[in-house]
Amino acid sequence: MNIIGPDLLVFGVDNVDDCTLFVTDYGLEGRGNGRFEALDGTGLLILPKGDPSLPSALDTGTTLRKTIYGCGDAQTLDAIEAELKKDREVKRLEDGSLETVDDLGFTLGFQVSTRRALALPAEMVNAPGASAKRPVNSIGIEKDARPRPRSLSHVVYFVPDYARAEAFYRDRLGFITTDRFHNTGPFMRPAGTDDHHTLFFIQTPPHMKGIEHFTFHMGGPSDVMQAGTNMVNKGYQSFWGPGRHLFGSNWFWYFKSPFGCNMEFDADMDLHDDSWVAREAPPGADTSQAFLLQYREKWAPMGGPPPGK
Amino acid sequence: MEARRVLCHLDDLEDDSTRGFDPDGQGRDTLFVVRKRGRVFAYRDECPHYRGTTTLPWRKDGYLDSSAEFIVCAAHGAKFEIETGLCVHGPCLGESLPTVSLSISQDGKVIVEC
Repeated sequence: MNIIGPDLLVFGVDNVDDCTLFVTDYGLEGRGNGRFEALDGTGLLILPKGDPSLPSALDTGTTLRKTIYGCGDAQTLDAIEAELKKDREVKRLEDGSLETVDDLGFTLGFQVSTRRALALPAEMVNAPGASAKRPVNSIGIEKDARPRPRSLSHVVYFVPDYARAEAFYRDRLGFITTDRFHNTGPFMRPAGTDDHHTLFFIQTPPHMKGIEHFTFHMGGPSDVMQAGTNMVNKGYQSFWGPGRHLFGSNWFWYFKSPFGCNMEFDADMDLHDDSWVAREAPPGADTSQAFLLQYREKWAPMGGPPPGK
Repeated sequence: MEARRVLCHLDDLEDDSTRGFDPDGQGRDTLFVVRKRGRVFAYRDECPHYRGTTTLPWRKDGYLDSSAEFIVCAAHGAKFEIETGLCVHGPCLGESLPTVSLSISQDGKVIVEC
């Protein structure tokens, strides 16, 4: 099935103003009626939790109400509809998209993807011996840069039965497991993308079921550092990072958010095809990252002896 | 060694509000106080979900939910009773925020021992 990845995450929150401020400072662009977009048009829909258009909430009260996947073509929608109608209700909404529920209770949507093709260079680096490099006289970093998220990257769910979740997305929707943490959960990509993962599950007790974090792809590691620094300077609080994950190789920086889950910046994720063999590792700090840094205020070692000497 | 520290004056705390403090000059808030219906409570800024290794708010002083009825951890939505620090919803259900001994002096100083 030609599912590309998440086009839109739909939230029902009791603090719309806080969430709007947060995602605007994160770098998404408001499009009105609660919609916020990255550069390629993927994004978030933020509605008051009592909005009648929202699917019902999970009984845990998680703020994520729906994950809408973008598909490459209408035939994929037909195939999903035919497959999932075997054992559950699949609605066709007025806009032509599908709405249903996965085996864990998360509401899903499927639409012909509305994301726009981007034609932007990745962050370019100069390195001895490498032919690909930044052009001469092209400056690598600007202090006041405000890099913007490019595309909705992935969503992570706390689930009470990761094996059941993995089986649903694998057997019914054609997702592929790229790597996994033992007794915790798999990283998965749908067949229409080569990104290492657009979905990851973390095994938890049932009372935690819901969204753990979501993230957008940035243009490179400097974008992650700069965007994260801009968030810190606006008073937002880091949760984890910056650092670089091992599974997926993506640079990361997570921030706590008013959605009651973390919101991440990521960049430079590995790409895989069907020849890739999934790796396995025990979950833990040493397997979660190659390195982990922590923000500190700007500082500089100035020349000369200590003051007064 | 515990020390008595004056954080602020009672008049600096509006009702149904919270404020974080950094009494040890660590460069980040390490405890916070909540004023609710005239009473004041103090806790360490450490979510029990990760055994105290992460802080709660998404921005400075953002410790309450929108109804100001619960202390909330922004990382994964845990809710805590303001009066007791007990987690009543979320990952660390049944666990509690570490309390900080707090007193109000006769002239209204908010004092903690930590």
